[in-house]
Amino acid sequence: MTKNTAFRKHILAAATMMAMTFTATGASAAEKVTLQLKWVPQAQFAGYYVAQEKGFYKDAGLDVTIKPGGTDISPVQVIAGKSADVIVNWMPDALAAREAGVPLVNISQVFDRSGLMLTCKKASGISSPKDLKGKTLGVWFGGNEYPFFNWMNKLGYKPDVDIKVLKQGFNVDPLLQGQADCISTMNYNEYWQLIDAGMKPEELITFAYEDQGVSTLEDGLYVLEPNLKNKAFVSKMAKFVKASLQGWNYAVSHPKEAAEIVVGQDASGAATLEVQQRQMENVAKLISHANTKQMGYLEPAAYKRTVSVLLSGGSSPVIKKDPGDKAMSHVVWDAASKL
Amino acid sequence: MNTETFRQHVLPVSVIVLAAILFWYCLTIGLNAPGAIARVLPKNGHWGYGDFVLTTLNMARPVLPAPHQILLDIWHSLTQWSLSSPRNLLLHTWVTASAALTGFSMGVVLGLLLAVCIVHSQTLDKALLPWIVASQTVPVLAIAPIVLIILGSLGITGLLPKAVIAMYLCFFPVTVAMVQGLRSPQKLEMELLHTYATGKLDTFWLLRLPASLPFLFPAFRVAIASGLVGTMVAELPTGAQAGLGARLLTGSYYGNTIQIWSALVMASLLGLLLTALVSLLERIVMRTRRTV
Amino acid sequence: MKPLHSGYLSLLLSLLMTGVALTQPLQQTATDILWTVHSPAMMIGMTLLAAALYAIWSPLALFHSAVFTFLTALAGLQLLRLGALAQPAAGYWLLVLSLALLAQLTVQRLAEARLAHLPQGAVAALFGGWLLYFWQLLVTVFAVPQVLLPTPLAILQAIMDNAGLLAGDFVQTVLKSVVIGYLLGSGLGILTGILIERFPFLQRGLLPLANLTSTIPLVGVAPIAVMWFGFDWPSKAAVIVLVTFFPALVSTLAGLQATGKLEQELMYSYAASPRLTLLALRLPAAMPFIFNALKVNSTLALISAIVAEFFGSPTAGLGFRISAEAARMHMPVVWAAIVVASLVGSGLYALLVRLERRVTFWHPAIRGHHR
Repeated sequence: MTKNTAFRKHILAAATMMAMTFTATGASAAEKVTLQLKWVPQAQFAGYYVAQEKGFYKDAGLDVTIKPGGTDISPVQVIAGKSADVIVNWMPDALAAREAGVPLVNISQVFDRSGLMLTCKKASGISSPKDLKGKTLGVWFGGNEYPFFNWMNKLGYKPDVDIKVLKQGFNVDPLLQGQADCISTMNYNEYWQLIDAGMKPEELITFAYEDQGVSTLEDGLYVLEPNLKNKAFVSKMAKFVKASLQGWNYAVSHPKEAAEIVVGQDASGAATLEVQQRQMENVAKLISHANTKQMGYLEPAAYKRTVSVLLSGGSSPVIKKDPGDKAMSHVVWDAASKL
Repeated sequence: MNTETFRQHVLPVSVIVLAAILFWYCLTIGLNAPGAIARVLPKNGHWGYGDFVLTTLNMARPVLPAPHQILLDIWHSLTQWSLSSPRNLLLHTWVTASAALTGFSMGVVLGLLLAVCIVHSQTLDKALLPWIVASQTVPVLAIAPIVLIILGSLGITGLLPKAVIAMYLCFFPVTVAMVQGLRSPQKLEMELLHTYATGKLDTFWLLRLPASLPFLFPAFRVAIASGLVGTMVAELPTGAQAGLGARLLTGSYYGNTIQIWSALVMASLLGLLLTALVSLLERIVMRTRRTV
Repeated sequence: MKPLHSGYLSLLLSLLMTGVALTQPLQQTATDILWTVHSPAMMIGMTLLAAALYAIWSPLALFHSAVFTFLTALAGLQLLRLGALAQPAAGYWLLVLSLALLAQLTVQRLAEARLAHLPQGAVAALFGGWLLYFWQLLVTVFAVPQVLLPTPLAILQAIMDNAGLLAGDFVQTVLKSVVIGYLLGSGLGILTGILIERFPFLQRGLLPLANLTSTIPLVGVAPIAVMWFGFDWPSKAAVIVLVTFFPALVSTLAGLQATGKLEQELMYSYAASPRLTLLALRLPAAMPFIFNALKVNSTLALISAIVAEFFGSPTAGLGFRISAEAARMHMPVVWAAIVVASLVGSGLYALLVRLERRVTFWHPAIRGHHR
């Protein structure tokens, strides 16, 4: 920082005491970014926590606030209420929200594979998706039900006619208690909770959405479309994306350290190191481009596949019209790779 | 006096508590049995009755944890971690208590103001009371995230949004009881004051307010309890920060049943403490009133 | 301060504001002052002036009150039809304030009209109508995103579009969970209260325990209930029993102990048995307390059922609808479900008030309350 800018900063500070609005020009004050996560602090978001803890954000000249999510916190609502600049969200939810009038745009896709699975007890006589008919299935709602209903539609099963759907809470008890034959699980989280609870892998059978051809893109970064017209915002986001991806690369290479960082960030004191480390190792499997040039790049083909899966919802598709290329943008990612 | 207190209080409470704990242990064995047989005990059936009971009482993921498991968990959390650690339950209890008390105070002030307005203004009585009732039928949890986001976009975060939700639940019982209490003076007494040409304000201080006190304190007790619930409800969508509500959420989420129950027990103890404080206040206030 | 004075003060203020508003631009972008006769602002201003002047020179009677309300509502309607202004300026806000003052006065006039044949909820309905109107107006003007707060009209539309769905939710939540849980919980609470009143030993032992259970936060019980009683209505009913039991018990005990010494001694001098004392004196005296608990419980039960459904439910129920649709960003549907819940809760409450008047017609709190 030259003397000149320092002097100018003083003048600026004096002049804007009332308004407290620092323009990004001249002042090298850290730019503020607020990130809203989809769920509680866990290794699913390790990259952001690592970037925070390791100072990657700070080095990029950013002051990042990471807001954890919760049961009824919808990241979309938060960003629509202007309480966040960027959110982590799944693409089905983001596109549905876009249709509901919140113009979300994907700026970077971190997970290129889906971790969503349906896990069933073998004892309930299920060995292939055909056997799901007449069974009770636990499904997460809250924007995560779209892939499931698409899949059932593909199988030709009507909810509440051919299958009984339960609104699954956010744990695996329904399967343990025998209240459901199958439940939704993530391959990095709930599946292992079942194993931890004493189920044996050979007692379970899992159907990964990825294998059923009904997978949709999961954790990606989304911003509001009008903001992308603002050059300053795009450059700020480029720094953010670059630092976040750096954090992700680090987390994938150092799962143990990443897990420690995540556990340290959990204000509720419920996360444990061993669980988070295992989760980190499994999350790493969903990021096949880690430590490559392609990291964080949203493949247009994958985007189109997700859109077509969501459009094929039969009587009640998730989205009614194709958003075209409007819901994705490489502007930020391109700028980030040039930094 | 000592034997008297024993007979009057200690004995009945301990008898009931003992009965409850015994019942709890039986329930624990019964509820955990299927899980224990399916997942923990050896599959070949080589286990005796003693093994079975021990297993059900010490499961890692029980349907109902045994009392000693919960007490141990609380004890560990209180003794092995510093007070500032998120693993110490006292920290969470304090976070919840502070928000609940703030909300309760706000709720009581609002409730009393509303009640006084309603009793003294025909317009407000007719226009407002039905809506106050209707306000309580709005499910708080559905509103909580919206409230939090709206307040968050105004830059209000932390304790206050939770307190607002608690207030929303607290003011209602206070308002209803206070309206009833302020209207409870007999016609005779009202007319007596009327013959003295007492003004509205003096009538309020001399007659209406004292008459409303017996109605008010039970309402306070209900209000503080629901304020506590409100705070914990508000702690769910705030995104698993600190607080007993967050402990419940994460416990339920990670399948840590013992953690859920520890948080529940702590919350109940906190509620007990708060209602005890209200009762103490009631005693002090009522003692100054010479009843017939 | 006499109500008439406060009324005149509002009227004068309103007249003043409307007058000033007509000399101010409506929007920050507009350069012309609104002295053109055909401009919408002029029309609104004139209607407001007419309403205020009418209110000043008309007596307090229902017919005049209705005309005044009609004029004010007309002005409001015109204001709403302006739609979302890009940048509302001083003139616009003065008109809104002026309208707010008059609106408040319409409610006051109706309340003071003291008419026997005016239905009971009329004043509240008018008040609620104005609240909804200003909600609609402000959300439109500030262009609040639909995902935060939809307009009342959008909610109404959602109620009509999803009537069948909401009816199914009503059956699932109210007719199954709430009714059963409420009757069980409150009934058990009252019965326990009557029983342990007779046994001081039990009372001293159970009350601290009841206090303890009362403070068990329902949020924590809901997932446990789902774990024990399954996803359908029994788990919700169980939560409601737990939540409603304590207020009923505490209020019953407080009510049974509320009788004066004089009455008790009178019963004693009649050599009345404890049972007779209970039936003839204590229970009737406890009724206001019990009804208080029942009223609080009715709303508590409904909320509990809805909250409990957040933690696992079949794919029907008001709570399910709220959480699922909120995630889908269909906020009007969420609010439609909330409206249904509120209507049900208010209905239950009104029913209890009716019943209370029937049962405790002799009590000073009811008797002394001139309608």
